Amino acid sequence: MEGKIIVVTSGKGGVGKTTATSSIGAALALEGNRVAIVDMDIGLRNLDVVMGLENRIVFNIVDVVQDRCKIEQAAIRDRRIENLFLIPASQSDNKDVLTTAGIERIAKQLRSKFDYIIMDSPAGIERGFENSVVSADEALVICTPDVSAVRDADRVIGLLYARSLSPKLIVNRIEPARVMRGEMLSHEDVLEVLSIDLVGLVPMDEKVLISSNTGTPLVLQTDSKAGAAFRQIARRLNGEADLPIEMPVYKTSMWQKISKTFGLKQ
Amino acid sequence: MIHFKNAAPVKIKGVGGGLWISLDPSRPEDLLITEVDKIFKKLKHLAVNASVVIDMGDAPGHEDLFALVKTRLIEKFEVGRVTSPPKKQSVPTQRIRQRDLFKGWNHHRSDVLMLRGRVRSGQKIDTRRHVVIFGDVNPGAEILAGGDIIVLGRLSGKVHAGNPENETAIVFALAFDPTSIKIGTITAAGSEETSHAMPEFACVKNKSILVQDYMKTNPFKKMPWPEAV
Repeated sequence: MEGKIIVVTSGKGGVGKTTATSSIGAALALEGNRVAIVDMDIGLRNLDVVMGLENRIVFNIVDVVQDRCKIEQAAIRDRRIENLFLIPASQSDNKDVLTTAGIERIAKQLRSKFDYIIMDSPAGIERGFENSVVSADEALVICTPDVSAVRDADRVIGLLYARSLSPKLIVNRIEPARVMRGEMLSHEDVLEVLSIDLVGLVPMDEKVLISSNTGTPLVLQTDSKAGAAFRQIARRLNGEADLPIEMPVYKTSMWQKISKTFGLKQ
Repeated sequence: MIHFKNAAPVKIKGVGGGLWISLDPSRPEDLLITEVDKIFKKLKHLAVNASVVIDMGDAPGHEDLFALVKTRLIEKFEVGRVTSPPKKQSVPTQRIRQRDLFKGWNHHRSDVLMLRGRVRSGQKIDTRRHVVIFGDVNPGAEILAGGDIIVLGRLSGKVHAGNPENETAIVFALAFDPTSIKIGTITAAGSEETSHAMPEFACVKNKSILVQDYMKTNPFKKMPWPEAV
């Protein structure tokens, strides 16, 4: 069976595309799929650091597209998770070295070798974005509950629709306490403006920072709320579309006390 | 034998509750006066207190003749009231009104661009016609219309109605919250307050943009008949 190319994009930078890409990729691999994660951010390579694979890079995606190596040579196998591969970006080139035709040719090969290919799109809507979405079968739009992120996501959704892709939404970095206090948009507010299918809600989690800096997969940390949310998203993408979406809730101290009294988990 | 060229300079007929006198103002004044006298003498007491309409055709500038005939009729023949014929409605107004009677809109070509769905950030709708949108206009979206802009949803984007200089255009939205609004050549910034959930409309009054509650000041309330646009 042919694999599926999923592009992860957002328009705005710093909303968690790279974290989402690595986490969803890792979670899909844990589900037993053969997964390739492709860093499309040519010139600003990040994904290898987040996955802790930076010192194993020999070839990169530019080498593959320009026929200097085979996909197998560029794909780095993850040590901890079986069936998880990273095809890194080039740090020394810029986005213009890749052409959409080149990407389409490689996409065909990737589909035949993997079950899921997750493409980490760069921020912006220029060449890098075009290259990332040109051969995508599905698109995930990451958005944080900020007015500026919502506007950029809205723009990107319009561009994806124009390419006959129906994107799905992940709302990242939700802080239920702030939503409660009215300091932050709620995911309902975000959905009202963007009105596309929601595939997951990811709460704010400090573990993400630790995981990125130490290069350990977030989804392997059992006590990470964000990691759990990404695992759920991966299951939804992997065919369990009906899996209910958990709302991040803010537990008041009162509720925490009651929970403790009755011996419930916090 | 009938001489069409020499048709009678003064004709009379009975209409509704009175008399209708048609005068040919191109004929000499004396002739017209004698003809009027002749006719009214024959009428005798029928003319007393009658309501008379003097019709001098469409040609303008015969007020003197009208006044002369009017005083003569009132003083000499004791008619009750002398008026000029009611003004005919202009052709377009008449045609618009008749649309209702004859279902004229069945073959009316619409001047409206009607869209369904969400207008997203970065999308721009530019038309010389009126725009009706069934859906929301997100922040960052832009709408330019030669005529009115009607949004049956939340309007949060940037709008310019009456582009380039039609200041009679209006902007209406079920939830009116645009980032900026321009009608004709006049611009206004959006309100600082967020979450307006009211049906409001904007129009130009005294060279500035006025936003009003649609339910209180419906701009179409006073239009007595439906008009196709």
